[in-house]
Order: sequence, then structure tokens, then C-alpha cells
Amino acid sequence: MNNDILATLSITDATRKLATKEISSLDLVRACRANIERRNATLNAYLEVFDDVEAQAIAADTRRAMGEKQKLLGIPLAVKDNILIEGRRASSASKILEDYIAPYDATAIKKLKDAGAVFLGRTNMDEFAMGGSTENSAYGPTKNPHDESRVPGGSSGGSAAALASGMALGALGSDTGGSVREPASFCGVVGLKPTYGAISRSGLMAMGSSLDQIGPLTRTVADAKLLFEAMRGQDPLDSTSLDPSFYKEGLQRKKIGVPRHLLARGVDADVLKLFEETLKRLQEKGYALVDIELPSAGLALAIYYILMPAEASTNLARFDGVRYGLSRRGESLFDDYACTRGEGFGPEVRRRIMLGTYVLSAGYYDAYYGKATQARRTLSRECAAALKEVDVIMTPTTPSPAFLIGEKSDPLSMYLTDIFTVTANLTGNPALAVPMGEVKRTKINLPASIQLTAAHGGEATLFSIGREIEAV
Amino acid sequence: MYYDAMVSKEEVRALAQLARLRVSDSEIEGLQKDISNILEYVGQVGSIVPNKGETQVLRAQNVMREDILYGPATGLINKGKELLTAFPKREGDYAVVRKIIHKDE
Repeated sequence: MNNDILATLSITDATRKLATKEISSLDLVRACRANIERRNATLNAYLEVFDDVEAQAIAADTRRAMGEKQKLLGIPLAVKDNILIEGRRASSASKILEDYIAPYDATAIKKLKDAGAVFLGRTNMDEFAMGGSTENSAYGPTKNPHDESRVPGGSSGGSAAALASGMALGALGSDTGGSVREPASFCGVVGLKPTYGAISRSGLMAMGSSLDQIGPLTRTVADAKLLFEAMRGQDPLDSTSLDPSFYKEGLQRKKIGVPRHLLARGVDADVLKLFEETLKRLQEKGYALVDIELPSAGLALAIYYILMPAEASTNLARFDGVRYGLSRRGESLFDDYACTRGEGFGPEVRRRIMLGTYVLSAGYYDAYYGKATQARRTLSRECAAALKEVDVIMTPTTPSPAFLIGEKSDPLSMYLTDIFTVTANLTGNPALAVPMGEVKRTKINLPASIQLTAAHGGEATLFSIGREIEAV
Repeated sequence: MYYDAMVSKEEVRALAQLARLRVSDSEIEGLQKDISNILEYVGQVGSIVPNKGETQVLRAQNVMREDILYGPATGLINKGKELLTAFPKREGDYAVVRKIIHKDE
């Protein structure tokens, strides 16, 4: 089997071929490496490819020969640079953690190791997962494999680009406001933001702790299910992680809710057209479309850009140059901190830390953080009520296809890309991004994506309807 | 209730101070514009009319556990050496920090 076919197999297909000994893990790893050698210098998807990947693959093949049959045995995956793998560098694409070596495995990584996965390397991202384009990396931007003048989305842009260019069979990202789903949309792959608490956050570098979730990026919905099931579970190291009994049975009502009031403006006409066509095809398959109202959803982005910086500024206070990372000496103790953090953090991270500091400061707390907390509860209640009537809520994943590198230089215009994705993080609901076709920009086809949001623990519903979308 | 969201240059400097960030003079103006624009946008949350009984307090509940070692579940057991290696400045098994208590002369 040639490398191009091997490197673009779904995990599900690769697992079957590995089981029948038609291919080996080493074949898969070599196929991915061939693409890495060909394109990574340009795309900048990986920050580092581990030098022991072939040894990992050979070990997996040996284990299979000995009769081991773990679900992901020998499957090569890419991992976002903010998820800890013991003994490997993990920098969150920041200068402040340039030389940081992870002292332990994230729980999600430990579970994937138990399932037999091979780790190819760590992927580029927006620094500390702050951004929607992977332009905020301290190690240079990642480019979109479909069109190298465009961004791959972010913040898990390296993972999405690696997968879309055949440099991995699957990838891990983290999603605080859309950071798995938006790059999945821009690169034409599947991305899942699980229910808050589904996958342990232990070993994921914290940005917004009440919003963060690790999520898989994959070629198919079946693959997303496979990785999700390998990683989920209650963990004593994350007190917000959920017991497996939380998960609900699959779909019941065949009803899709569409919040049309959110689509009235700001959505690219071609994306909207694909969205309507996808809905129509689902209708032909027997799904009923229901107009739903989420009156507070228009405020979701405003709520998010108060709560996320507030939590991030608190979480990033740990970078003081004492226990790990960059350490600079100034004139005074205050200067030690200010120099270390001023030099170690990039512009977007500093902007969000200052914004978080502002909304949490004594005089403004009630007007911003307090109001946002209240609005978050109202929004959660509205979503919960809607999801009592319908199986999923559908919108496009992003209002437009991938934009040009450098196009959104104003931070607020970049934030608006998250308009459809932040709600699921605020409410804790699971959401899945599935490719829904392509739109043409300057003669190049760019992927577009549809987002499905289900009730808490409703991942089974997302997978079942997601498969129907893939099939149409 | 809306606030005038335009922040002054002095406020930007004060924020940087509070956040323990050194910011160069050339960045102040850009930050002033960006932070003001973002605050104006997020200020929309002021328009929300609270539902009856919906307070500003988060509904999150504290999670209690036994005060015992997790054993092998925690990855940090026996990782002393790795944690020490991460110290930027180190003497033996100690992190070196600036002396902050001085004797009065």
C-alpha cells in the first residue's frame, strides 16, 4: 500500500488493517513522516517530531505480534503543545515555557498510551491557546494545507493542519471557545468539544478552567467517537470530571433545532447555502427542522470575552519565573516578575491578561464579571430548554471559510470568528464540527463545516447525526 | 448600566502594573485602543435583565475528597527530581528567589 493511501486512512480503517496484519504501525508512521518531510517546513504544523516515533511503532507492532489487541495499538497521533506527555517538551507555543519538560502524563495521554497509541510529535498552536488562527504562536504561524496563504484556524491549528495534510491519523486539540471546532472547520476535518467534564483536564495547561476541554480532531465521525471513548472518564485528579453513568442514550426524536435569528447577518452567503442544503438533505432523511429561539445567544461572545480572560489572567499568574519557565532578573522583585512575564508572553496573551485584570478589578467586577456570570446562567437555561424539544441545535461552525494570514489584525474582528462556537463552552454542552462541503475562493476549494450541539452527555446523539451528515 | 469603556493611557499602565507585565511605551497606545474596543463590545452584557431568582453567584459546587494520597493515580509521585530540574535558578534542592526581607539599618 503506498504512503499517500496509508497516511490518509481513517483510524477505523487503519485499525482493521493492522488487525489483519495487512499493514504495520511502522508503515503508518513512515507514511506520516514522509508527508512531514515534504510539507512541514512550509506548513509549520509540528513544532517537534519525536525522534523515537519509529521505535514507538516497532514496539506497538511487537506487542501486536505478542497478541495484544488494544483499540488504538500502533495508531500515530499528533498532540497539541499544551497537553503534557511525560519526558517531552510542552511549551504551549510560548517563549515562557520554551524549555519546559513535562514531568508527568496528562490523564488523556495516559489513557491513550494504555490504548496503545503512538505519539508523533507536538503541534503548533496559538500561544496558550489564545487565538483563532495559530498566528499567535511564538514559533511562527501554521498554514492551511488547502491554501497556504490562509490560516488553518486555531488555536489547535497545528493539529488540524497535520491531520489534513496526512501527517497524522488523528490529533488532539483543546477547546476553550472553539479551538478544536474552528480549525476542524477551516481544514475540513471532524472536531469534537466534549461535554464539560467528559475528559479529565489534568495535564492540560489551563486557560479558562470552567471552559477548557480536550477534544479529538479526526477524519471521520467514527474516529472521533473512538478517540473520545478512549480518553473520557472520571479522574481523581480533576474534580469536575464526570462519572460514565452521566452519558445518555442515542437519538430519540429526529428533531433538529435551528436558531435562525443568529444567522440573519454576518454569515458568508456560500456557507449559508451549504448549511441550508445540508439541513434539506437531513429533512429528506426524516429529520424535522424546528425554529428555536436562544434570546441570550447574541450575548455569548461578549460573555465569553469577559469570563475567559478573567480565568486566563488568574491561571497565568503562576508564571512568575520561580518554579519553571523563563526567569528574568530586574531591579526589584516587582521587576523580576514584570520582566519575566513581559518578555515571556506574546502580545495576545498580554492583552488578555490585562483585560482579565480589568474585568476582575474592584470597580468593574460587578459590571463585567458579575453580569457575565449571570448572563451565562441565563444562556445555559435557554439551551437546556431548547434541547428538551430537539435532539441537536445546528449552526454553521464558523461564519466564513478560512481567512487570509494577516487578514484579521484587529483582535475584536478575530474574536468574532468564535461567534457560533463559544456558546457550547459557556453552557458545557458537547458540540461536534462536521465537514459539509466546500466553497470556492480565488479558484481554490475551501472546506465549510456544520456544528451540532447536544444536551449534556449527549455525545452519542452527535455521533449518530454526524454520521448521517457524512453520508449525505 | 453601561460604563464609558474608553480606558486612558494611565489606566493601561496601571493594568500592566497590576498584571505584573512590563509593557513598553510604544505598545501603550495600541493596547489602549484594543482594550477600549473590546470593553465596549463586551459591555453589552450590561443589557441583560436578570431572571427572578437568578443571582450573580456561580452555581458551581465545591467537590470534597478524603485527605489521602491518591497513590499511583497521581503522576507526580516520585517526580521530585523532575520538578527540581524545572527550577530556573536552583541551589541543591531549593529554588533560588530574591531576598525580600531586609534588616532595618
